[in-house]
Amino acid sequence: MKTGIFICHCGHNIKHTVDVKKLSEYFKKIPNVTVSKDYVFVCSEPGQDMIKDAIEKEGLDRVIIASCTPSLHGPMFKDVLRKSNLNPFLLRRVSIREHCAWVGNDVEANTEKAKRLILAGLYSSAHYVPLEEKIVDVQKSALVVGGGVSGLSAAIFLSKMGMHVYLVEKEAELGGHVRILKDVWPAGRDGKGIVEEMAGELEKQENVEIFTSTTITNFEGFFGNYEATLKTPEGEKRLTVGGAVLAIGFSPFDPGIKPELQYGKDKRIITTLEFENNSDTLRLPEKPRVAILHCVGSRDEQIGKPYCSRVCCVNALRVGNALKDKHKESYVESFYMDVRAHPKGGEEFFEDTQEKGVLFTRANVGEIIPTPSGVVIRGEDTLFGETFEREFDLVVLSIGMSSPKDCKLIANTFKIALDKDNFFMEAHIKLRPFDTAVKGIFIAGSCSGPKDVEESINHGRASAVKLFGLLNLGYTYVEPFISYVDPKRCSGCRMCEHACFSNAIKYDEEKRVVHVEEAACMGCGLCNATCPSSAISLRGYIDPMIDDEISGFTEAI
Amino acid sequence: MKGKKLKSGDIENALNEFLKDGQHLVLGFKKDEKGVSHQIFKGSLDHHSLVNPVFGANAALYLRRLFSKGLKVVLMLRPCEIRAYVELHKLTQVEREDIIAVSIDCFGTVSSKEKKDDVPAEAGKLTEYFKDKGSMRWACSVCRERRGVVGDAGVRIDKSGNFWMVPYTERGEELVSGMEGELEEIPAEMLIPESPKTEKFEIDMETFNKDLEKCIMCMNCRDMCPVCYCIDCVFNGDEYLPKGDALLNKVFRTGSMQMPRGKDLFHLIRMYHVSQTCVGCGACEEACPQGIPLTKYFKGVSERLQGVFSYMSGRSFDEPIPYVTFLEDELKDAMD
Amino acid sequence: MAEETSKKNPEIVGFCCSYCTFKASEMAGSLRMKYPEGVKVIEVPCSSRVDPAFIIKAIVEGADGVFVSGCHPGDCHFIKGNFYTRRKIAALKEMFDAFSMKDRLRLFWVSASEARRFIDKVTSFYNYIKEKNDEREKA
Repeated sequence: MKTGIFICHCGHNIKHTVDVKKLSEYFKKIPNVTVSKDYVFVCSEPGQDMIKDAIEKEGLDRVIIASCTPSLHGPMFKDVLRKSNLNPFLLRRVSIREHCAWVGNDVEANTEKAKRLILAGLYSSAHYVPLEEKIVDVQKSALVVGGGVSGLSAAIFLSKMGMHVYLVEKEAELGGHVRILKDVWPAGRDGKGIVEEMAGELEKQENVEIFTSTTITNFEGFFGNYEATLKTPEGEKRLTVGGAVLAIGFSPFDPGIKPELQYGKDKRIITTLEFENNSDTLRLPEKPRVAILHCVGSRDEQIGKPYCSRVCCVNALRVGNALKDKHKESYVESFYMDVRAHPKGGEEFFEDTQEKGVLFTRANVGEIIPTPSGVVIRGEDTLFGETFEREFDLVVLSIGMSSPKDCKLIANTFKIALDKDNFFMEAHIKLRPFDTAVKGIFIAGSCSGPKDVEESINHGRASAVKLFGLLNLGYTYVEPFISYVDPKRCSGCRMCEHACFSNAIKYDEEKRVVHVEEAACMGCGLCNATCPSSAISLRGYIDPMIDDEISGFTEAI
Repeated sequence: MKGKKLKSGDIENALNEFLKDGQHLVLGFKKDEKGVSHQIFKGSLDHHSLVNPVFGANAALYLRRLFSKGLKVVLMLRPCEIRAYVELHKLTQVEREDIIAVSIDCFGTVSSKEKKDDVPAEAGKLTEYFKDKGSMRWACSVCRERRGVVGDAGVRIDKSGNFWMVPYTERGEELVSGMEGELEEIPAEMLIPESPKTEKFEIDMETFNKDLEKCIMCMNCRDMCPVCYCIDCVFNGDEYLPKGDALLNKVFRTGSMQMPRGKDLFHLIRMYHVSQTCVGCGACEEACPQGIPLTKYFKGVSERLQGVFSYMSGRSFDEPIPYVTFLEDELKDAMD
Repeated sequence: MAEETSKKNPEIVGFCCSYCTFKASEMAGSLRMKYPEGVKVIEVPCSSRVDPAFIIKAIVEGADGVFVSGCHPGDCHFIKGNFYTRRKIAALKEMFDAFSMKDRLRLFWVSASEARRFIDKVTSFYNYIKEKNDEREKA
């Protein structure tokens, strides 16, 4: 066995807390290790070339890359092996960054840990065998779930790039929350107009099918060939698509959850959304006294919503501006914790609003008491450290964004994860913010976290670009990590067959052994763990690999 | 529960009738001047005994890989042997179609290593024997099911010494119908009562290792266990018990090593593997050349693990083995 | 287990499923959250891949503690795998309890977004084992 070990410094990310030089020296003396090198950025071009050279010059038959976590640069490093005529499954990735350098403080302890992790990888990889990825055709079609602006944006891009698009919307009309907005900041366009323009563009496309008043009842399969079942007003419809973009939007926070706000108990307490839609019909006195409360339903540990909803400060500013524009003599006071006017032009908008005369009081609002003469707000001014009590004719709650109502249902249907606030979880918050853990399923818009209109549209397009990138090839590689049976060792007890919930194992009555239906096997490995003699094994995770990995950790302790 | 009250010779008559067909066999006990042993009877039931007071092996061992169709076999064996047969059926290691399993009330056994010629092979005398002298095997003294209540039918003995044949399944009814007499309610109380509940087995690693000091890793226990069914045991390979070059590699990576190594690994993993199918018969201890008290470990651990799922090995043909099924709402305190 | 070596720090081996717990451990790394260096993770595609024989081998070969972690029941990426894991590990824990070493095996559920939960679980396990080891040293 000729193994090459390549230890990455990752700049100083790994080098900072792991003695990479000591490690590469240590492994030079280990049997079966032909090459042991450390390098500043193994993922860089020169780094990749170094690996290629070593494989070719030394005739390496196993490669270990000790660097960042395996989910990063996966295909790239596999390609390095392919280009050197080595089967890509003879590569072992050892995570000494996310699982060692970044999570430990003590250099000596970290180095020892990295040594064990690499040793475990070395012992385990001795059992690796060349595996073939199957090439499977991919459907050049996509399912877009949700007809709001991010869904529309994704659908437009995908269809223009030649993918057949199925857009599914639960409601009778497209447009989601933007449709009902009167005034989308900063351009001042009305939401209905934006939505109609986008929908119009989509409807003109020939390769688009739009389903309204439709839900998704089932979704199964794997990337490139997903089977979706829709429930349309005309009945059930089955589709085969290559991938999906989930853009189901958000739910506006319901202030009814916080009874102290008295929302719903008095007509003078409304949300920003209600203000926006009814500002023409609101009957206010000549010189109205209006309070605007920021952070309603956000940054609130008590109700389990500790996050910032991002859009509500600008919404609150818009309310203040609109009031001052309509009622010059109004008394408008905003009660805030922080003012986060983050978009371009936001800070200037904040200043303008103050110049128009809207007062900003940093406060904790304690009580809201409706009385016949007005709504009394009691609270504490946190800058001056004084309590206050003032009366208003109207209280506008700047509500935040909560996860969409159907988040759990859709997450279950598509087998994706939810984050701790029940928004859809992205594969990696910085590096893969549109992907989910499931290949071919992307998320767009506010269903992955609070976003404003502009961000949602961009997010939709970005997810579509990523999905397009996957589908455009027309084919994909299917990982070969499925189970196989050694019929000589199988005793035909059928325990694996009983356990397998994918119905992927079948018993042969004549030969008295089982075999695996490869297409149905999901690659979980339950059968391998159930079989006492491991006559059935999960390729890529066979017993000797894991047993020797354990030995790498425990030997010579 | 209904059964047929038997007169002396009823069982033998019925089985002899059964054996008239050349394709029919009976696996049971034979008693002759040399003692009592397991016997496969063909043609006629010569020297049959309902009781085998000596334990050498669990007869279910002989049934593994028995798949022939067209012949019929009646098993007349002890409850632990029938329970092991039931588990083997669930593991598809024996074809049930042509087997009728009859369990006989068991009074306990002595070890075949004892070589006692004076052990009586009659029910009543055996009880007396165990009271006065003669060491009953520890496995039998704590057996959790000595009554013939498992399998397709059972031979029960009531307090007055009468023998009853009780069917439990359709197959059993088929056999019992061939016997003389009418079905009637069996007495509520029988000679052998339900076994008392034993305490949860608990031990510490020091004692365990001390008990294993004499182990020479001959694997007799595994080979004689009726439910250790794998045709190529995982311990034959190099993962857990490396041999030859693999062993040397391990020494180079770890350091000096006492041999034989892997005793604790072998017994602990085997304990888990048979945990849901072990019937506590003690065949393992019986086979051990070093006399290691294996029964207490295997029986103790398997009873605890079966208890987690309210499962009892061999109790029913229809209960699935716990590891291949689940309930969505269970084991809430399994999580830490 | 074969010899009672005096270790300075516990060695914990953890089996983490690719789709949930391992992702959480990656996130914990990305966010620079810290946990004791003695905790080492083995990635498996699903927690149901974990054979109790692995756990027994880890303990016998010297690991002070072993944990198995996967998706929350009902949320398994492979749909039902972790229901089987729960049964197997519950049974193995019962066996460990019989040998008076129940506290050396833990089972917990950590979903992909729960980096903090992963940290808390492994750190509290590590500290518990360390305490127990220290007590045994003193005795």
